[in-house]
Amino acid sequence: MTASHISSSLRVLPRLARAASGIALVIALLALWEASARLGWVDSLNWPPFTAVLAALRDGLWSGELPALLGNTLGYMLVGYAAGSAAGIALGLLLGLSPLLMRIVSPLVETLRPIPISAIVPPLILFLGVGDALKIFIVAFSSFFPVLINTVAGVRDGSPVLRQTARTLRLSRAATLRKLVLPGALPAIFAGLRTSLGIALVVAIIAEMVAGASGIGYFIVQAQYAMQPAPMYAAVLCLSLAGYALNRAILRFEKTALPWHGRA
Amino acid sequence: MSRARLVERWLPGTLAVAGVLAAWELLGRGGTLNPALLPAPSVVLATLVDVVRDDALAPPIARTLALMATGYLIACACGIALGVAMGRSEAVHALMEPLVELVRPIPKPALIPPLFLFLGIGLQTMLFIVVLAAFFPVLINTVQGVRGVDPVLLDTARTLRLSRRATVLRVVLPAALPMVATGMRVSLGLALTLVVVAEMLAGENGVGFLILDMQRAFQIQKMYAWLVVLALLGLLLNGAFEWAERRALPWRAHLS
Amino acid sequence: MKNFQLSAVRTTGTAPPPTHSTPDSPRADGIRLAHVARRFGSGDAELTALRDIELEVRAGEFLAILGPSGCGKSTLLQIVAGLLAPSAGEVLFRGRPVTEPPEGMVYLFQQYTKSLLPWRSVAGNVALAFEADRRLTRQQVHARASEYLGLVGLAGFEKHYPWQLSGGMQQRVAIARALAAEPRVLLLDEPFSAVDALTRVELQALVLELRRQRGLTVVLVTHDVDEAVFLADRIAILSKRPTVVEEIVETRIPHPRDAIETRELPRFLELRHTLMERLLGREPRP
Repeated sequence: MTASHISSSLRVLPRLARAASGIALVIALLALWEASARLGWVDSLNWPPFTAVLAALRDGLWSGELPALLGNTLGYMLVGYAAGSAAGIALGLLLGLSPLLMRIVSPLVETLRPIPISAIVPPLILFLGVGDALKIFIVAFSSFFPVLINTVAGVRDGSPVLRQTARTLRLSRAATLRKLVLPGALPAIFAGLRTSLGIALVVAIIAEMVAGASGIGYFIVQAQYAMQPAPMYAAVLCLSLAGYALNRAILRFEKTALPWHGRA
Repeated sequence: MSRARLVERWLPGTLAVAGVLAAWELLGRGGTLNPALLPAPSVVLATLVDVVRDDALAPPIARTLALMATGYLIACACGIALGVAMGRSEAVHALMEPLVELVRPIPKPALIPPLFLFLGIGLQTMLFIVVLAAFFPVLINTVQGVRGVDPVLLDTARTLRLSRRATVLRVVLPAALPMVATGMRVSLGLALTLVVVAEMLAGENGVGFLILDMQRAFQIQKMYAWLVVLALLGLLLNGAFEWAERRALPWRAHLS
Repeated sequence: MKNFQLSAVRTTGTAPPPTHSTPDSPRADGIRLAHVARRFGSGDAELTALRDIELEVRAGEFLAILGPSGCGKSTLLQIVAGLLAPSAGEVLFRGRPVTEPPEGMVYLFQQYTKSLLPWRSVAGNVALAFEADRRLTRQQVHARASEYLGLVGLAGFEKHYPWQLSGGMQQRVAIARALAAEPRVLLLDEPFSAVDALTRVELQALVLELRRQRGLTVVLVTHDVDEAVFLADRIAILSKRPTVVEEIVETRIPHPRDAIETRELPRFLELRHTLMERLLGREPRP
């Protein structure tokens, strides 16, 4: 082992210690949770120990109940997400390429965008009733805007130098669009898709909680009324894992679709 | 910008909005729209005027806004403080990152029922929820902003021998401010949304509660009136934020 | 110690330049590089940028460091500036090893635009160099910033913002800010490579004049032979990677130097020719 090998391994030690410290913190907090519940430090019926939550999670998964609920929520969410994103990309491309259309449509979009999603649920109940159609619609509605805005930005912010390059090489309009504008806009579009995915899950849950009849959000609210903390916490845990997995999935997808784009 | 250019810029869009409203009104009057589902704008406006006349406009707005503002400010303060610490120090970042990455993917509305169950249904719980939700976008963006400060700027601070405090206050924070502002903008929308959800689930007053309550009581016109109020609230908050952002960061437009 | 400036100084009859601190004895401002090495990466991917640099910077001189691209000139200068640590060897300044940016030395960046704070005005940027001094009132801070801006020919631009200025003017702001820190040594990293030729000539004259007025020691990194010969008293020629100092040449060109006439002197042309041959790898003519 050369001197530089030894010294570089020694340098790695503090880095390992640091990475471990974060995990140690999480473990310590979980231990605190467990202890506080078992030892009765917290005076509440609704504070189950972490192990009880894990047990409920295991039961829920094995019995198929949690996967079914999750599947329900995710399924309708993805349908809405796909619809809203597709619409956002389509309109975004149109608006990005036509400044006039942009000027016409922009104030409309800017008026609708700041409305809190939760607020349009009650009117939608009137039209679509409580249930799955509402879920799809509201997820689509909320997915639409970030994708739209990012797509417009991606199309418009294409480097002017690249555009001039296309002109000096006398590329046709269709070719410029295909070879330059679209690929150039892809990173921004993906950023919008990522943002929308995060929002989509939250919105689906809100829809289920306020006006739902199925899915994991609805289950959580029901568990609250039934005062059953352990299954409820288990469902939340399940949801958080799903959210994490979705995020990783789209990052992986982005990497394969855009290998040339360095992460900022 | 000249008068003519201002008009050219805003006229098509304003006409579009006006057009939509006019079409809505005509459809409503003509009987195409079911008034029990979607009353005409004039009806909604009249209902709103009634509400104002009854002095019933201010209290729910005040309630909702107070809750939102308190939670939002606390979340921003905490998010920026921790964000700077995590952005500047690898040790702090490594310590906090797993915990943050664990809590972040949880859809915050899903935490409302557990928190209601555990902390009870009340103002403090609702405040806690708003803080929890608004905290993360600010934190994440602050960390990114601090870490993304141009190394040339940091080296400039070093070669001019600025103290650590001066470096953070005079170089790091201003440089990170655009990203922090983005996080704060996202959090603003999130805070409002979550206050409304919390009110709908277990509130007793406030704009969100009223919207759901009116729907359940089939007072459709009032529901839409309060919806318009909430939409305007969202618009105003957003506009105010963007105005403040432009004033605080005039140099942002000129960054390459 | 022979001081080049004394040999051909033209008295201009103007008032002495402002200094707000008493300068140390010039003898103390020399820099010594002893066996400085710098490696990047580790294991199989390890790259030796600087192998063994032995160099002395004499107090009060203008030293140019000339070398091909990629030879680690900027790395070397950053090590001298205390911004980067050497893998081996040390840099001594005022009798002490440099481990972090020392007092009395300021480094100027090649990317001067990025080094200016975009949210501060020009005066605000200059003030960054000394505003930490609690003894100054706000008016004094502003007045001093104006003073230094005047030195670089930017009087009246105090309230402008960096984005409103051309590249050459931005570099002047960076220079004013560096001077406002009252260094004895200026380290310039290819400061003029990103400005147009005419602006470059103006800025070169500015640097020479400022150095003369304040008796500064200047170390300039460049790949431009012309610039090195025009500005410097001595030129250190670097090899390709892994880099060592190949040779040190005395320019022996008299001061004051004129943008046009100095460049036509026989000595200038001869030196330029030799150095270009060196850098281009051509056989020297007999």
